[in-house]
Amino acid sequence: MTIEPIRQDGTTADADLGDVRAAQRDRAAFGALYRRYIDRVYGYCFYLLGDHHDAEDATERTFLAALGAIERYRDEGASFRAWLFRIAHNQVANTLRGRARRHATPLDDVPEPMVDDDPAGLVGLAEETRRLRRALATLPEDRRQVVILRFVDGLSAREIGVVLGRSEGAVRVLQHRALRQLAQALRS
Amino acid sequence: MTLRPSTAERLDRAIDHLLTGAPPAVAAATAGLPAPQRALVEAAASVRSALVASVVAPRFEARLGARLSGAATSPWILRHPGRLIVSGAVGSAVGVGVTTYAVWRTTRRASAAHRLLHR
Repeated sequence: MTIEPIRQDGTTADADLGDVRAAQRDRAAFGALYRRYIDRVYGYCFYLLGDHHDAEDATERTFLAALGAIERYRDEGASFRAWLFRIAHNQVANTLRGRARRHATPLDDVPEPMVDDDPAGLVGLAEETRRLRRALATLPEDRRQVVILRFVDGLSAREIGVVLGRSEGAVRVLQHRALRQLAQALRS
Repeated sequence: MTLRPSTAERLDRAIDHLLTGAPPAVAAATAGLPAPQRALVEAAASVRSALVASVVAPRFEARLGARLSGAATSPWILRHPGRLIVSGAVGSAVGVGVTTYAVWRTTRRASAAHRLLHR
């Protein structure tokens, strides 16, 4: 897998780099990266596939592929997490291609967030959450991917560009359009 | 000459602030977003609170962790994941065969001993 360099300032700010180097020397050290990213990779797969079983399958394939290719990862500007999410992105795309006849859980069925505020606020939040998830489900695939990678997984526009194979500017435009669409849905 | 950042760039900066915990109004103001675009930061804040991180099932996490540990010590599994299934199936078949034979032998010996005792 080849990833184009994206870092222009020459820094090596990737916080995972030490663990990646350790895993390249000894694959048993991959566990630290696995524990750090299992929830986020699973969340990404789950929000895009809308099905726990498919999300687990895609997560499993992602980590097995990442472990198998860890020796080939090079710090050429793309962070480890962008590299990992690109693998996850490919696995999700494979699942979506192969499940044309299967029924997916709508995004509305994703469990509600735990809120310990007052009950009145909870009702309003739950309604807004449902509306947002419905609106999110209507976004075009690329905009939805950007929103999930940005808000669930905390990737930067640059990293999302690596995952989706787009430029940083294109990701920002997609993000802008997605938020405009979501804001309209919330107002209506 | 310095280029003024585009609206999409300023929105992205505002979201950066938002993701570090800044309130939407502060994030929008810090990024220098014009008033009409501030509603987008509010929408971003709503999206952030609506999309909670999913927590992976502990059993799945443990199973995958064990599989990765096994794969880390046996790299051939990663190159040929199908062989893991085949070797598992062969192992199970051998196990069933050995158990069946052991049960058959025990039964046969027991019945022979029974016959000797009651002759």
